[in-house]
Amino acid sequence: MMPDFDQVGEGQTQQEWQKPPAAPAIMVDHVSKWYGQVIGLNDVSLAISGGVTGVLGMNGAGKSTLLKIIVGRLRPSQGQIRLFGTDPFKNPAPYHRLGYVSESEKLYDWMTGLDFVTTLARLHGMTRDEARARAEHVLDFVGLSDVGNKEIGKYSKGMRQRVKIAHALVNDPDLIVLDEPLQGCDPLARTTIMNVIRELGAMGKTILVTSHILSEIERITEQIVILHNGRLLALGNLHSIRELLDHIPHRILLRTPDPRNLGRTVLPHPSVYGVRFPTPEELIIETNSLSEVHQDLPRLIIESGVEVTAIENPDDNLQSLLGYLIGGRS
Amino acid sequence: MQPIAPPPGPPKRNLSETVWTKLDRKATAIAEFTMRQYRKKRSTWTVGAVGVLLVVIVLLFYIDAMSEGFESEDNDGDGLIDEDPSSWTDWENSQYANRSISGPMSDDDGDCLDLEPWMRDTGNSDGIDCNVVYSYDRNGMVTSVSSDMNVDEDPNESEFLEEASHRAFLLGFGKFGFLFILGIFVPLFLATGLIRDEMESGTLHYLVGKPIARAEILMYRLLGFVGLAWPYFAGLFVLSALVTGFFGPGESIYRFSDLGIWFGILIATFLTVLAYAAVFITFGIVAGRFGVLVALLFAVWEFFMMFLAMIGVTREMGLASMSVSFWGSEIINSTAWLVWGDYAMMSGQTIAIDIALWTVWYSPFPTTSPLLNMVISIVVLLIITALFVLIGQSSFKKRELN
Repeated sequence: MMPDFDQVGEGQTQQEWQKPPAAPAIMVDHVSKWYGQVIGLNDVSLAISGGVTGVLGMNGAGKSTLLKIIVGRLRPSQGQIRLFGTDPFKNPAPYHRLGYVSESEKLYDWMTGLDFVTTLARLHGMTRDEARARAEHVLDFVGLSDVGNKEIGKYSKGMRQRVKIAHALVNDPDLIVLDEPLQGCDPLARTTIMNVIRELGAMGKTILVTSHILSEIERITEQIVILHNGRLLALGNLHSIRELLDHIPHRILLRTPDPRNLGRTVLPHPSVYGVRFPTPEELIIETNSLSEVHQDLPRLIIESGVEVTAIENPDDNLQSLLGYLIGGRS
Repeated sequence: MQPIAPPPGPPKRNLSETVWTKLDRKATAIAEFTMRQYRKKRSTWTVGAVGVLLVVIVLLFYIDAMSEGFESEDNDGDGLIDEDPSSWTDWENSQYANRSISGPMSDDDGDCLDLEPWMRDTGNSDGIDCNVVYSYDRNGMVTSVSSDMNVDEDPNESEFLEEASHRAFLLGFGKFGFLFILGIFVPLFLATGLIRDEMESGTLHYLVGKPIARAEILMYRLLGFVGLAWPYFAGLFVLSALVTGFFGPGESIYRFSDLGIWFGILIATFLTVLAYAAVFITFGIVAGRFGVLVALLFAVWEFFMMFLAMIGVTREMGLASMSVSFWGSEIINSTAWLVWGDYAMMSGQTIAIDIALWTVWYSPFPTTSPLLNMVISIVVLLIITALFVLIGQSSFKKRELN
């Protein structure tokens, strides 16, 4: 509502003068991005505030493009992007509240980890001392305090990822955007980084994290966005998305020395409509309600008295999820 | 009645939290980062070492030249070389000094002071007694020498030539060595990549993803370059000023009179280097990976303009003023006129010696004041710098970082 400059005396109530509600951390409004003939993103709309959100998609699905548009590295060809209500491509102000970990593995190898984080902290307007104290704090948070004075060039891949995360946390951001933070890390580093992300989420920050590996995202969050060929395919709770697809059979693979005996025990279960024996050592249960079967499976196994060495959900990966979502087209 | 508590005043503003100091922090952070980055690059050290080597070699040549003598020549075409007034009979100070002898022959030692007052301004009638008038064409070349009666217009060249060569060396070295060769190549190699290299290596987003405008990043990167380049040039100037001051002609141990011209060369080179850096950083952004190529073409243009200025054809065309190096050398020219009072005479006498001495004064502005010419040149260089910084900034702002 514009103020009454002309003083004609039109009434303006208290409500009209109220401040607009706080803008969402990320607002993506019908954003498309194309590179020449190639479409990177196709009419994506999204608003995110609070919690950890996983962005899932195969390679080339448009995850990085989306994130680059969100952090203002790219300008959308169409549509609008707002970070805390501001267009990040035009105004760097939202960067006060943003931490961004890019997918690029390039770092200033000649700097020490501490120098790197301190220098970038100073770009937030901190003094040298403040910046150094903050840098030490965040390096400690990601578990790099003991190698802070080593050159980044000598870091392992996991350390490099973590120093990137540290630099993104140095301004205590409300919004953290991480592009493939687990890429190329060994299992130990993965676990550390996932813990860091979960911890940040627990601290009440808005976090956006991309991955092409479903199980990684599952360990971090249940709130997901699925991109496929530049389109927004699904958005919401990962398991609700799966539940919606109940008419599509799910498979559970069990490894056991006596699959036939176990199959006999499982088959009467109301949700199970078939069993198969691909090898003499394996049993596949076909069901349309994964959760119900999983709930009863331990009891059934004990009843049958058969030793089970492994339980796997072969469909529970991004590929098959995407397969279901796009109904066989890919 | 209860006393009313005073309303709480505005929150105390911490002086260290003003907008300016925050800008200041970001500026020093980026400039410092840029300089440290330079220190880690081999190209920086290579360019620096080549520059020092060039300057040292030129200075060695200078020392060599100064330790040899100079041959005299006949400037006024009267068939005499180094017309030494002391070998003539000195009438004023002789036994006939107080006698009244009239006529021009009574004073022949070149100072004309013993002539009758009415005769002291005969010869060129310029209104000044016992004076020599050198006439110049627009390029500063002497067209005629016209002296008052009995004044020696042909000075001793073994001193004069040495002095003239020394000055020509200072100007030539300042213009071509510092302002042009080093002034263009140091920014070409070190400033072109300030933004472009970061874009290509994929590390720019670390700087750009911070609450700092891209325009500022460019400015502070430039500041970092200047923080490296200016002290480097200042060091070379100190070395050159020391060598030429101690080995140069003159009775005193050190030629303090040259410090003024060195100061002028310093100002000219600083501003030229800044302008070139602004040009090249912008080329790097606008032309991307062809930045170096475009910058090289620009350098060729600058060289061509300098060449035109040297052979003296550009004054009429006004073409040379379309280059950065032109305005830098105008600052040096102006300084020479300001610092050396006898510069006109020197440049007039030494046509044959050095181009550097007579390629003076090309300003397309109608001014005869060297000070004004210098101010104009400084302003033009700053405008060029600002213009290219603005172009670079607006291009950088629109650039997507893939």
